[in-house]
Amino acid sequence: MRRVTQLAAVVLSGSLGMASLAACGSTSDSGSTAGSGSTASAGAGGGGLKVGMAYDIGGRGDQSFNDSAARGLDQAKSTLGASVKELSAGANETDADKTQRLKDLAGAGYNPVIAIGYSYAGSLATVAKEFPNTKFAIVDSTVDAPNVTNLVFTEEQSSYLVGVAAALKSKSHKIGFIGGVNVPLINKFEAGFTAGVKATDPSATVTPQYLSQPPDTKGFSSPDLGKAAAQGMLDKGIDVVYAAAGSSGNGAIEAVAGKSGAWAIGVDSDQYNQDALAKNKAVILTSALKNVDVAVLDYIKSFKDNSLKTGTVTFDLKSGGVGYSKSNPAFASDSATIAKIETAKQAIVDGKVTPPTTVKK
Amino acid sequence: MNKLLKKIDGERLLLGLAAPVLAVVTALVVTALVLLASGKEPFQAFNVMLDYGSKADSQIYILNKATTYYLAGIAVALGFRMNLFNIGVDGQYRMAAFFAAVVGAQLHLPGVLHILVIVLVAMLVGAMWAGIAGLLKVTRGVSEVISTIMLNAIATSVIAYLLSPGRLAELDASGNVSTKVIPDSGHLFNIATKGGSLYGFIFVAVIVGIAFWWGLSRTRFGFDLRTAGGSDSAALASGVNVKRMVVTAMLLSGAIAGLVGMPELLNNSYQYSLNFPTGIGFTGISVALLGRNNPIGVAIGALLWAFIERATGHLEFAGYDKEIAGVVQGVIVLAVVIAYELVRRYGLRRQQSRVGRQLAAQAVPSKNQEVSA
Amino acid sequence: MANHDIDITVSRGTVHALVGENGAGKSTLMKILYGMQRPDEGTITVNGERVELHTPADAIARGIGMVHQHFMLADNLTVLENVVLGAERLHGIGGRARNAIKKISDAYGLDVRPDVLVEHLGVADRQRIEILKVLYRGARTLILDEPTAVLVPQEVEALFDNLRELKSEGLTVIFISHKLDEVLSVADAITVIRRGTTVASVNPREVNARQLAELMVGSELPSPETRESTVTDVPMLTVDGLRLSEIDPDGIDRVVLDSIGFTIHKGEVLGIAGVEGNGQAELVEAIMGMRKPDNGTVTLDGKDISQALTRTRREAGIGYVPEDRHRHALLLEAPLWENRILGHVTEQPNSRRGILNPAAARRDTERIVAEYDVRTPGIDVTAASLSGGNQQKLIVGREMSHNPKLLIAAHPTRGVDVGAQAQIWDQIREARREGLAVLLISADLDELIGLSDTLRVMYRGRLVADADPSTVTPEELGSAMTGAARGHLEHPAQDAADTADETDQAGE
Repeated sequence: MRRVTQLAAVVLSGSLGMASLAACGSTSDSGSTAGSGSTASAGAGGGGLKVGMAYDIGGRGDQSFNDSAARGLDQAKSTLGASVKELSAGANETDADKTQRLKDLAGAGYNPVIAIGYSYAGSLATVAKEFPNTKFAIVDSTVDAPNVTNLVFTEEQSSYLVGVAAALKSKSHKIGFIGGVNVPLINKFEAGFTAGVKATDPSATVTPQYLSQPPDTKGFSSPDLGKAAAQGMLDKGIDVVYAAAGSSGNGAIEAVAGKSGAWAIGVDSDQYNQDALAKNKAVILTSALKNVDVAVLDYIKSFKDNSLKTGTVTFDLKSGGVGYSKSNPAFASDSATIAKIETAKQAIVDGKVTPPTTVKK
Repeated sequence: MNKLLKKIDGERLLLGLAAPVLAVVTALVVTALVLLASGKEPFQAFNVMLDYGSKADSQIYILNKATTYYLAGIAVALGFRMNLFNIGVDGQYRMAAFFAAVVGAQLHLPGVLHILVIVLVAMLVGAMWAGIAGLLKVTRGVSEVISTIMLNAIATSVIAYLLSPGRLAELDASGNVSTKVIPDSGHLFNIATKGGSLYGFIFVAVIVGIAFWWGLSRTRFGFDLRTAGGSDSAALASGVNVKRMVVTAMLLSGAIAGLVGMPELLNNSYQYSLNFPTGIGFTGISVALLGRNNPIGVAIGALLWAFIERATGHLEFAGYDKEIAGVVQGVIVLAVVIAYELVRRYGLRRQQSRVGRQLAAQAVPSKNQEVSA
Repeated sequence: MANHDIDITVSRGTVHALVGENGAGKSTLMKILYGMQRPDEGTITVNGERVELHTPADAIARGIGMVHQHFMLADNLTVLENVVLGAERLHGIGGRARNAIKKISDAYGLDVRPDVLVEHLGVADRQRIEILKVLYRGARTLILDEPTAVLVPQEVEALFDNLRELKSEGLTVIFISHKLDEVLSVADAITVIRRGTTVASVNPREVNARQLAELMVGSELPSPETRESTVTDVPMLTVDGLRLSEIDPDGIDRVVLDSIGFTIHKGEVLGIAGVEGNGQAELVEAIMGMRKPDNGTVTLDGKDISQALTRTRREAGIGYVPEDRHRHALLLEAPLWENRILGHVTEQPNSRRGILNPAAARRDTERIVAEYDVRTPGIDVTAASLSGGNQQKLIVGREMSHNPKLLIAAHPTRGVDVGAQAQIWDQIREARREGLAVLLISADLDELIGLSDTLRVMYRGRLVADADPSTVTPEELGSAMTGAARGHLEHPAQDAADTADETDQAGE
């Protein structure tokens, strides 16, 4: 036993010693720029536009806003000839992990570097300071630094509009909202949506339900939870369900498709046109659009054109960064409804109506 | 006789090391196979890991992370030592860190005192949360596995309820919800190195480790705890109040769990927000298993765990799937559990036959020599 | 090596006894025969064919089966399920298996009921299931490791009838025991092992128990009897009106102990005889504070300790040698010196003011090992690696090291060889001379009669009879243990008649 202690003490002090020695050794940044020739050069072809992308948990393939960002990146790749490097966050991360991810990208010469999701805010503030010559962007959050562009969306506006649609289409005057995870970002959707409903039909009720509580993010990626929640709502007589819940929303749409006369409202992208939902697309009345792809592509474009704006760039109804979709013919042909939504839209654009961003608790 | 003892000790040491080494090697082999199966070259990956993981900033990262994992591992190990499966370290440290952050932000005290109060609050909250499971076990016979898992879920809900604008937290400009920032007096020192800042809390972790070792092996309380862990019935017969021991051990485990969030809170974020790290309690279980509930072993386990996370994090950059980390860690835990049991049985059998042999040798020295020669 | 130059030949259709001290190498030999351990050299021949046994499965395939000392049964399964467990391929798990079990049970008179849950069975029944398990797997040679250690005399007789039945069907039984009288009564041949080698093969008709014992120890034997009385009139332990009821697995509230009262004086050994399961274990645990009686008082040396914690009672001077040393007296995977601390962690030299003193504890362990002749290569080996007798010597040594006022010894020499047995007896006697009070519980009636100053018989949770050890015979005790006699057992025939009425009145 005693010897185990001694041995382990040696091992431990060895590793500590290494760390202090390393004060005069190399760090991973200096090392990787020198040693990462093989990795970086893989993407370093063409015009030298190297875009680094750091996704939030779920990464590419999450059927949600990571994917939306990925679409923008893919377009940049094909239209602008950018070479890209994509990394994604894992579970149980600390700011240190995110910091390192951004550093990895910036250190390897990727410029610009785009961080997807508000959880990068803290780490980006650190890294932006360390790499003043690299341009960064963050989606859904704001970081105050001269080389950072904040790409934020007015989700409450698009949600307000689909709220108007929901109120007009509901026969039972009972409307449901399914949020993926109970975080401020999703609260924004709920707040705008509820305001839209109430403004159109004061007698209607909106029942909100969140699929998980932070830090548990499974609510964004559990179609089964979404389905169960929607089913519960339908059973209570709710006939329009708006799901802002990532891929969990697919489950909700599936549940709605099982009940005639009920409508589902999609989120982020035009879900009527999504392959995964083709079977049930008839019940997707409309979708509250959040064009992350457009924002990402625009940002990369402006970087290439040297017309980059730093600070906060807001994608709102006016600029077309958010909106609602009219791909469902049953919805598009309902001109009375469309007209009312357009009126509401104009009111928002004109500043006559300002949808709330937070839910009163 | 003396020489004989040393021989047994040496063998015990060897057997003690055999299991983790076996486990890590198995994990490497399995990982290599997985990489090969996915059409990637494994040795290149290991090379990248080693290379990257040994960089100065990686070392600091590893030490900082290991500090957290170590505390979680010790919290779990304390329970394990008396056959209590505290699955609830996760909920305990989150509750503890949350309330410590709330209290810490309200206070304005001189430096050391401020930090002390925050740490004490964390330990108290952690102990309380774990104590619930202990009380349920001794009064109602509820398995602590079930109750701590449920308490984890309850902790999540409680924090989600309180951590919202207008309650105990506020919404900041970046769209994050967090408690108020703890004033400067409540910040623990960081040690600046070229690789970044090393959390001062690492010293607390070392002290906890020493206290854990000393408390268990050198005090009556520790002996009672180990007795209760070794054999319930023997503990009862020897006069250990097993029920009280269960509650005490849970309280202690919870108090240590309360420290898990402190490096992050006192050395880095200074507030509890939506991105406060989660799931460390479960890492603690793996680390405790890997370290055989031994304070030094847990330290090695924590360092290994942090190293794997750090090094595999970079694998994605080098074009490998980052899920490799999960594979390596999963296989290590599985292999460790199996390897320990194998080595333990082997060691026990071997010792039994060794004792028999030595007794026979003592009994008939001359004749035995002839026979075995 | 634990064994060298072992030569043993067992003829088919015989009961062959294997006797020897603990640590003499019997268990090792059995492990080799059962394929659990491999010999360095030498050969094993079964039915004229040389075999290599690598695993128990090999041994079973050769028709060798083993009934372990500690039963390996799953309490929550039925007899049928326990028997077929792991041997499902033989006759399935349904009707065929049931028939096979019935057939074996009838053929050898085992009287097994296949659908009873094992947890409801007594020790003797469990042992028969173990035997049946082995037979079910096709064994023609049975190895029984100390099968009588857990049985009362009547059950031993029943077991021997079973063994004779097996023998008459042409099966071979290898029988390990310490109880030489039993060996002599059932065995057809006896092999004596001492210090890892076979020292003699004798015919049971030509030796007596004493000669056999001397062969085992290799020297003259001490006698268990001492008659000079050391009993004083100072009460040390007084138990009064102890009553304990517990809810059994069927949910029925059962009285386990009822109006138990007795006094043990300084220098007195009170022996309690009884068939196992009549409340002896509960009585001991109630005195130790491990169970909470419904009412009654326990007074130690004038102090009422009825409400005291187990630890307080131990500190007050109760030494405890439990019935099941593996469960209650040892940490099997801890080294000897830690086992020396067990139960006395708050006392010198183990600790002071809450801090352990490993160095002192180790020194004292060395002393116990030397004084009590614990055969071990050192104090850092685990308790599990010692033989049962040596474990017991360590336990007795430990309990005697804290100058107890009262020693509770439950089956102190169970599973212990003659040599160690004599030592333990000596220790108890010596302590008693120094004023120790002893509560002795034993299934070994010779031990009870030989050591006790006073005898009480326990039956269904009551102390139903008492006897003077200098005049009582094992047979008289035996009949009281089965509830056939009550009161004072001085003149058996007459007393039994006298107390018959009393029995009826006091009856349940």
